[in-house]
Amino acid sequence: MRKTLDICAARLAACRSAPAGRFAIVAQDDAIVSAGDREWAQLGGEILSRLPALALVVAGPRPPFAELLLRRTPPERLRIVPRDTETRTFLHDIPILREKEAGGNAAERIAALLRARKGVVVEGIGIVATGPLSIEQAFVNYSCVFHATFVKYLLDILSEGFPLPGERKVFEDCWDEWLQPVSAEGLFLRPGPLEAPADVADEMAAVGRYTVELGLVDSFFGNVSYCAGGTIYISQTAASLDDLAGRIDAVPLDGSSTAGITASSELPAHRRIYETTGARAILHGHPKLAVVMSMLCEEKDCATKDCWKECQRARLVGDTPVVAGEPGAGGLADTLPSAIAQAGRALVFGHGVFTASRTSLAEAFRAMVEVENACRNEYAKKVASGTLHKS
Amino acid sequence: MHGWRGRILHVDVGAGTQRIEFLPREVLFAYLGGRGLGVRLLREDFARDPFDPLMPVVFAAGPLCGTSAPASARFSVVSRSPLTGTVCDSSAGGRFAHSLKAAGFDALRITGRSARPVALAVTPGGAEILPADSLWGKTTGESARALAGRGSVAAIGPAGENGVLFANIVTGEGNAAGRGGLGAVLGAKKIKAVAVNGDIPVTIAKPARFEKAQADVMRLLRASPVIFGEFGIAEFGTAAFSDLLRLRRMTPAENFRRTVFEASRNWSGPAIRRRFRPGKDGCFDCPIRCKRTDRSGSRLPEYGTLSHLGALNGISDVEAVVRAGILCTELGMDTISAGATLAAWGEARERFVRAQDLENLLRDVAWRRAEGGLLALGSRRLAEAIENPRISMAVKGLELPAYDPRGAYGLALALCTSNRGGCHLRAYTIGMELLRRPVAIDRFSFDGKARIVKICEDASAAADSLPACRFAFLGASLEEYAELFAAATGEEADAGRLQEIGERIVLTERFYNAACGFARKDDALPARFFEEPGTEGGGIEIPPLDRQRFEEELDRYYRIRGLTAEGTFSDPEFLSKQP
Repeated sequence: MRKTLDICAARLAACRSAPAGRFAIVAQDDAIVSAGDREWAQLGGEILSRLPALALVVAGPRPPFAELLLRRTPPERLRIVPRDTETRTFLHDIPILREKEAGGNAAERIAALLRARKGVVVEGIGIVATGPLSIEQAFVNYSCVFHATFVKYLLDILSEGFPLPGERKVFEDCWDEWLQPVSAEGLFLRPGPLEAPADVADEMAAVGRYTVELGLVDSFFGNVSYCAGGTIYISQTAASLDDLAGRIDAVPLDGSSTAGITASSELPAHRRIYETTGARAILHGHPKLAVVMSMLCEEKDCATKDCWKECQRARLVGDTPVVAGEPGAGGLADTLPSAIAQAGRALVFGHGVFTASRTSLAEAFRAMVEVENACRNEYAKKVASGTLHKS
Repeated sequence: MHGWRGRILHVDVGAGTQRIEFLPREVLFAYLGGRGLGVRLLREDFARDPFDPLMPVVFAAGPLCGTSAPASARFSVVSRSPLTGTVCDSSAGGRFAHSLKAAGFDALRITGRSARPVALAVTPGGAEILPADSLWGKTTGESARALAGRGSVAAIGPAGENGVLFANIVTGEGNAAGRGGLGAVLGAKKIKAVAVNGDIPVTIAKPARFEKAQADVMRLLRASPVIFGEFGIAEFGTAAFSDLLRLRRMTPAENFRRTVFEASRNWSGPAIRRRFRPGKDGCFDCPIRCKRTDRSGSRLPEYGTLSHLGALNGISDVEAVVRAGILCTELGMDTISAGATLAAWGEARERFVRAQDLENLLRDVAWRRAEGGLLALGSRRLAEAIENPRISMAVKGLELPAYDPRGAYGLALALCTSNRGGCHLRAYTIGMELLRRPVAIDRFSFDGKARIVKICEDASAAADSLPACRFAFLGASLEEYAELFAAATGEEADAGRLQEIGERIVLTERFYNAACGFARKDDALPARFFEEPGTEGGGIEIPPLDRQRFEEELDRYYRIRGLTAEGTFSDPEFLSKQP
């Protein structure tokens, strides 16, 4: 377990969301072991020992959007309900715990909340998330809460402004530090097309790693595929996009094998894109500003109740179309192909970005960089204009 | 009462008497229903011989049965196994669970031994004991059809009547309450079948909350590639696992001497679809519909059946394997134990059964004729009888499933710690070690597996008691099912609470077993897995298991469970402290 703890601790550090000295990953087998800051590990151990779970992440993330959200939440509310797909599908909602409610026994109160949900936002601490069955799962759930609260905060600014004292300054500092344009410059990317399976696997692993490193997706999310020789090579479900070696499934297009049962849940969408558009490469990430902009719909008096699933209105963010559709068998495979056929890129409401290329993963990757930068510019304009969105 | 009925029907088929017991809410909340309630109802009798007339057989539904909670149409049969001597619960899907609730009962507890064959017909008015002489000797399907007018039926076949130690109880839809031979326990009581019928609806305490929780579960099921993916079990049935097991080099072949059987391609999902053009089928009201039926309406065998009647016996003829699987269902016989016992016999003879002899041999087992008489006792007794103990690939006498433990170390541990013997469903670690759900873990490492197995065993016990199908947990989790439970019953419970209830159930089972003499010596895999490698290739090595690491992890499991180093209880009063 020590090795896995250290790997996850390094991942947390690499994604910059948990600064040194402000996080710990804790696991229990027949004894408790930890990585990270000792004081945070002690708190984590006290919480974990009260839970039927294997691991836990406790972190004071930067930027501090989760805690700002907590402070903006009216005192009578006990939970945050972000609207992104990860919350809707996996988290459902995020309990919050204020310092005064924690009293003198924060570990007990946090553990009580974590018996019902995967993660919690705690005033004065940050995010605490469990891994019921593995250390990686604790990291995944932490990432999920971090992502959901990050996106919700950026959305809430547009609708509510900065009600807390000094909040605008905090946001502007974070914008400068965390939300600068991303760039594919200097990265080694191969031109396509590729044919040899080993070359395909190498390039998928490289592009997956770059996608995580540029913050276009958190480690255990997103997916990537390439189609060559009658086979779709696709990242496995629950694979780390920055560690794809040995975690790519080869799925015959003729349906002669079910070995792809462990492939990404988005395989149906990838397959339909390949079958209908002539693409050879597809990349899917969850860039934060793209997710924010995907949900920024200004339609008035709309009758659609379930925007994630039912919206059929043609909408663009810049030149990128936005579609509805839930993951897996939830309809994305029906809505995505026609949108991506036109522009080679598409936003999925509350979820993320898909990009496709007829030649190379490199082109799909650069397209994702462009989409996120375009969404950043659109978002910045809205904040700067002061014309706040009213949803 | 919402969700539950709060009533148990006790029937003594020997005396011809019955009574209704009203259960306190606290007991229901402490054990939920299904497996948990059945285990609780054995408390006074768990040490009896399985064939003692006073030994109860409990049919138990759970609080979610009769509701529209996804994948909840399951019931458990609980008693003591004549095959293993352990406490045994067998879960099956189908309309039976709904009908039992609709008759107004959470459970049916049967004791006694009838002088002549009988069937029970349960309605809201109680149980009617029907003569069943004309059904004795009939198949499970024939019996179910004969009693169809009496409601949902669970019946034994010739195997149960004749005391085959791995006899099943089979529902009218062809779903088996398998493993452990509870069909033989029913047969010893001369009970051919149980039919249940009623029209009392289950009420939901908080309908809006229930509806939201249901939607949350369905969203997760749709997002799971293993369930609703294009190669998932909703599309291909469990035959979808066949290609994956072959590629991971975990298909047990020739009595676990090899771990790859190339001809398993013959019963892959696409191969079954091409050859049999099956229709989709499923347990009552289940959205997943992982069952498959052929054009004649026969239920096609599951992955485990195909693999053990095929690969484990070196048979590649898919037609013969499918016919044999269907025959086992009709005879009321567990296909895993049947396949593994034949394979052990094949290894001992250095000659595996031929495809063309398979059906006749299975009939001989069910009727205990000729060599079938010995094979009907299961692989462990067979091995003892021919003085070749190494050939039995079983834990606690229960034959191992179609997943080779050398390819997944959490599975290896879980097969041993399982309270009913070598069963992969007690912890279902293959979800993580093979299917990457709900999270992927390293299958070739023992690290953390003791804690994982413990958590998964507890969660599975809770799931079996709500109940919810194991496959639903390849998408959703106890977090969402706790919401369904709370909304259905009005009793607040979170995932942590359900885990604790699961832990209580697992420990109660273990206490029963320990009191019957089970200990660490029984939590043991066959020596082959520590001494012989599996079949390497494709860049994958399948080395023998490291015995020292295995034993260390077993030690750790006992410590995490609060057991002694022998896997027993230091507190002899444990049971009396439970609700």
